[in-house]
Amino acid sequence: MLKILSCLLMTALLLPSSISAAAADNYYQGKTIRIVVGFSAGGGFDTYARAIARHMGKHIPGQPAIVVENMTGAGSLIAANHVYNVAKPDGLTIGHFIGGLFLGQVLGQKGVQFDARKFEFIGAPITDHVVCAMTKASGITSVEKWLASKTPVKMGGIAPGTSTPDNATRIFKAALGLPIQLVTGYKGTANVRLAAESGEIAGGCWGWDSVKTTWRKAIESGDAVVVLQANRKNHPELPQIPQAIKLAKTEDARRIIDVGIHADSDIIRTYTLPPGTPKERVQTLRKAFDDTLKDAEFLADAKKSNLSVVPVSVEEIERDINALFKLDPGLVAKLKDLLYN
Amino acid sequence: MEMFSALISGLIQVFNWSTFSLMMIGIAVGFVVGILPGLGGPTAMALMLPFIFKMSAVEAFAFLLGMTAVTATTGDITSVLFGVPGEPTTASTIVDGHAMARNGEAGRALGAVLMSSLVGAVFAGVALAIAVPIVRPIVLSFGSPEFFMLSLLGITFVASLSGEDQLKGIISGGIGLMLATIGLDPIAGIQRYTFGQLFLWDGIGLVPITIGFYAIPETIELAVLGTSISTQKVEKLGGVMEGVKDTFRHWGLVIRCSAIGTFTAIIPGMGAATTQWLAYAHAVQSSPNKERFGKGDVRGVLGPGAANNSTLGGSLITTIAFGVPASVIMAILLGAFIIQGIVPGPDMLLPPPKGKLDLTFSFVWVIIISNIITVAICFLFLKQLARVTQVRGAIIIPIILVLIYLGAFAEKNAFQDMLVVLFFGGLGWIMVKMEWPRPPVLLGLVLGPLAENRLFLSTDNYGAAWLGRPGVLVIFAVTLIGIVYPIIKKKREEREKSASETQAQAAVERAGHGGVRFGSAALFTAVVAIVLALALFQSRNFGPRAGLFPWAIGIPTLLLALVQLGKDTLGRAKPKGALAAWEVAVAVPPAVARRRTVSILIWTIGFFIAIWLLGFSYSIPVAMLLYLKLAGKEKWPMTIAVTFFTWLFVYALFERTLSIPFPEGLLVSLIKGGQ
Repeated sequence: MLKILSCLLMTALLLPSSISAAAADNYYQGKTIRIVVGFSAGGGFDTYARAIARHMGKHIPGQPAIVVENMTGAGSLIAANHVYNVAKPDGLTIGHFIGGLFLGQVLGQKGVQFDARKFEFIGAPITDHVVCAMTKASGITSVEKWLASKTPVKMGGIAPGTSTPDNATRIFKAALGLPIQLVTGYKGTANVRLAAESGEIAGGCWGWDSVKTTWRKAIESGDAVVVLQANRKNHPELPQIPQAIKLAKTEDARRIIDVGIHADSDIIRTYTLPPGTPKERVQTLRKAFDDTLKDAEFLADAKKSNLSVVPVSVEEIERDINALFKLDPGLVAKLKDLLYN
Repeated sequence: MEMFSALISGLIQVFNWSTFSLMMIGIAVGFVVGILPGLGGPTAMALMLPFIFKMSAVEAFAFLLGMTAVTATTGDITSVLFGVPGEPTTASTIVDGHAMARNGEAGRALGAVLMSSLVGAVFAGVALAIAVPIVRPIVLSFGSPEFFMLSLLGITFVASLSGEDQLKGIISGGIGLMLATIGLDPIAGIQRYTFGQLFLWDGIGLVPITIGFYAIPETIELAVLGTSISTQKVEKLGGVMEGVKDTFRHWGLVIRCSAIGTFTAIIPGMGAATTQWLAYAHAVQSSPNKERFGKGDVRGVLGPGAANNSTLGGSLITTIAFGVPASVIMAILLGAFIIQGIVPGPDMLLPPPKGKLDLTFSFVWVIIISNIITVAICFLFLKQLARVTQVRGAIIIPIILVLIYLGAFAEKNAFQDMLVVLFFGGLGWIMVKMEWPRPPVLLGLVLGPLAENRLFLSTDNYGAAWLGRPGVLVIFAVTLIGIVYPIIKKKREEREKSASETQAQAAVERAGHGGVRFGSAALFTAVVAIVLALALFQSRNFGPRAGLFPWAIGIPTLLLALVQLGKDTLGRAKPKGALAAWEVAVAVPPAVARRRTVSILIWTIGFFIAIWLLGFSYSIPVAMLLYLKLAGKEKWPMTIAVTFFTWLFVYALFERTLSIPFPEGLLVSLIKGGQ
């Protein structure tokens, strides 16, 4: 009897460890890579990660399995801290949390336990393209009408410190002098949209990719109108919409838009590795990530799910992040005051 | 006509063989997830999401909705039989359902809960179908002020959930509302009661609280009684048909509670976790002779049984018509929409070829058909299901403990949630012992954030003008009637009764006066008061916006807690209410009870420590083996079999198949690190 018991126990104890034993020369063979996503299943970050996870394995020598793990909380700060401090730098953990946290570090956001400059970046599938969309019913159908509005225009927000809508809206208000009353506390942009449709607020400012899919009907019929965009490049689908930075009057205002919105948009959906990950594995994963974003099957999946793919290179990401740490103290103080107070 | 053909087309699409078989797989998964305590529908849905990439839209939603639709039905079974919530959304069926099971009426309770679940599901389906043409204008006429008023109305339901002791109930509700303020405040982003823990930034989760609150006290109780769940012989599982008949006997109640579930769920933020309690409160409030509620009244089973199923229809309305997720589970379903490249919104309500109404109607059919199938299967195997309650407690307890911790962890892959379960398990147990009602805490916890958010959104958007909106006034009037009417009714009843009872009352009062006492009841109340006072002290730096809610709730709750403390120390001992039948049947000598209590408390904490030190895959065999051998005194074959299969189930399903990222045990990583 005891023999059977000890046999069972031995199998129980040995099974997990025997599986991880794999050939040393082909590092990734038989391994599992985890993408730690800082937001819950079904959200935008999660959907991109799952689409990438489905196709990235075949671009890595050894074809490891790739799984998505949701580690939610504190606007993905928990996941960011985890990837930096807890996850082993063995090339088997990829972090995907909101890139707005990097600006957060520079501005002294509470709870940040990482140094953005030490992460190893492997790329980003998309740059956010911030737009402001208003309902026709609000009467604000162009930026001229907006600027001319005698009363503050009500815009929806989620929580202070959120890249979009809150940070972007606050920056537009300060840098462009737009009459805005930011009403914050809605649970997600879907609720902002609902509040705009019911007439409670005029609209909101967040990514065009999300606006054009979730609000497509209203945009097509003209019940909702995009009045402003903010990105380093004009969006091909929005040739006529004015660029925020062109409306800025001062150098300071232009700097704030460039740092707070443009740079933030580029790094918002970065995929990262823990600091200290061996260089050759970083290279392997960067190349695999690049190849995945060009993979026809991945692109077909992305198209089906309305996910735009506009890759941001590692060089661009690193340049943006290094620039964040070279901001002059005056601008940092100004941004801090602008975004958190 | 176009609508009708879309309705038929939806039905035909569901009966396509690949769709139907995927729905059946979904039902099977949902069936098991619903029955297993700890594991909830949202967790299962999130885990199943990766599988839908290869499916077509109708297949994917048949699979996911089939799964979700049945969890609330089979979850009720666990709640009734074990007193442990099968789902966080079925906690309310425990109150009377489990009491019935203990009274030997398990069959009747199951019959009632299954039948009312089916009615609720069909109601949800029909409501969803009917709502299609009218839902947008109705929902769009609601703004933040109306949402605020509705959450306020919901909070007043605390009174009906309080049982006999209204004061304790209201304090409990206040505690729930205070707990809800933990985390980053939604307007200013100020940290409230987070103690520097990032984990608390989003507040404490409803799932681990509900699991801890109900599952742990019941596990302790089971261990103390030292019997199987059913304390009375259920030789023949009588009364199933009786329960089915009950559903039709109280037809009005079942329909009203179905309506409460569906219509409340349209409001973003109100899922079945809320609607079940609103329905239960309504069942209590609307019923004549309330004495049996909480001791095994079938009406307390029918209400929530119907509501937690009908909620799905309401949540779907908001999700489909606006793309606004009404609950956690809908947020995940929205992800499924995205993956499938479908944009919820007005298109979903237009007949093809312009829109996807046929898909929407296929949802209706999936909800109805999957519940019919599930309820039919349940009825067929009811005897076998009920027999589980006759399995020795010693075998059930370690399995429940494993599932509790597993479910708490897997919801967010957060280790800390296991601590939350443990803490609220302890609190729930003490509240049971001290006769404090638990439902008001949960209701306060869900409605608090909704009320706070919407209050600030209302004032920010409209100033004070929102108070004059017609919708606000109507809901206010309803709320007022809801508060005042029961009081008037009670007064009238008391006047009729009083004549005969004054003398007896006087006698009791005389006997009870015994000076100042400071027993365990007073101690608990004192701790509550002290914690509330400390919380208020903490909140002095929150500023007016983040501080408004903690102050507005904390101060009156603290005052009421002091009144309660006065009652506990000075007041007369309340004569104990009539005992339920099962309490009389199993009397455990106090000394034995005390020993068993200490033992199970140690085991409950021990399981957690084992998981912490060894990780899930090692701790499960070790802890289970030890429990079955030392505490359960089971024979070796049984011990090994139960241990092995529990471990195999967890390892094969969660670790291998679903790749749940179980954390490595502390000791394990130390050993590995040392090498």
